Amino acid sequence: MARPALRRVGRPDEGAPRLAHLDRDRRLVEAAQADPARFEALYRKYLAQVYSFAFYELRDHHEAEDATERTFLAALGNLSRFEERARPADGEGASTFRVWLFQIARNAIAERRRRQRRRPETSLDAADAVADPLDLEATALRHDAATAAVQAITRLPGDRRRALILRFVDEMSTREIAGVLGRSEGAVRVLIHRALRSVARDLDDRPQ
Amino acid sequence: MTPTPFGGRIRDSEDVEALVTDRYLESIFAAHARGADIAPVAVDRRPDLDVRLAATRLAHDLPRFHPSFRFEEALAAKLLEMATRVRLPLAAGGEDVVSATGAPEPYDGYDRYLPIAAIGDDGRIRLLGDPRLAIGRPLLVGGALTSAALSIAGAVYVAWRFRHPQSGAMARAVRAVARARLA
Repeated sequence: MARPALRRVGRPDEGAPRLAHLDRDRRLVEAAQADPARFEALYRKYLAQVYSFAFYELRDHHEAEDATERTFLAALGNLSRFEERARPADGEGASTFRVWLFQIARNAIAERRRRQRRRPETSLDAADAVADPLDLEATALRHDAATAAVQAITRLPGDRRRALILRFVDEMSTREIAGVLGRSEGAVRVLIHRALRSVARDLDDRPQ
Repeated sequence: MTPTPFGGRIRDSEDVEALVTDRYLESIFAAHARGADIAPVAVDRRPDLDVRLAATRLAHDLPRFHPSFRFEEALAAKLLEMATRVRLPLAAGGEDVVSATGAPEPYDGYDRYLPIAAIGDDGRIRLLGDPRLAIGRPLLVGGALTSAALSIAGAVYVAWRFRHPQSGAMARAVRAVARARLA
């Protein structure tokens, strides 16, 4: 994970320059706010993360693509109102842009899930994905391991599942996950701890 | 957390366990970022064995997904079109303009090799890379690929991505695959 950059900022009223925190995404965000065509850099950077989150949640790649598209279009449309607020205390590589983007993604995914519930025929794809999410032409061992991991995740209830996906797939910090899910850091830590216990029991019941 | 008579809160044992687990996960991801499989953690700072095993398996086996390059480019084109529409009012002075501070940061290194797979039109997932090289967690490429075209699409994707560098762990993984194939 990239370290947050620090830049020196001259202060004419003080003898020594102070160090101001420069967030990992700040320059990209500012560039995109000045010229929306430069949003592409943020898009390329976070496309796979947003798509992964959507695919785990929706279990259908067409639905995941739709949620991903809505997320980035909404992010570009509202970028002028976004303000980067990550601080050094937020940890290495922290980005409030990523938290903001995933909040948008979470809403887009929730909207797709509501549509899935209203149109039950689309859940057939999801059922297939749950029943056999990995039809790999690879070694049986690797296939089984990946399948077991995905199935253990998909059997978890809502926020536990989301917290583990954000932690293990998108490698977000606890603080970032708290921002995305709208919970306290302590609550997210407990969510993840309980989710890991559930996964441990699940994997125990289905040995590799 | 349990309320105290003075209005504060003390940590329950589960809060403490959750904190230990959180620190443990941080150390795992930090080790992976360094290219190490195992994180050195003091015995008294480790969570229970079952939690450690679950965390290790998820960190190793849970796939990451990537949409098809066809979808990626189509959405990039839509965003550019939208950006052009947004840019016009900006140029006319309709909204505040924040000055850019420079070019994006350069690419900062390579991850370990990760295999690539794809989601076909039938919704099933197939590995595209050489399974004997399957070290680390899978990166799965999804989208509108027919079953027959999967392996070709994988090679095309890798070649295409190699010409379109991006930052991030997943992008680094894809470039590492390309390097391995070229070697």
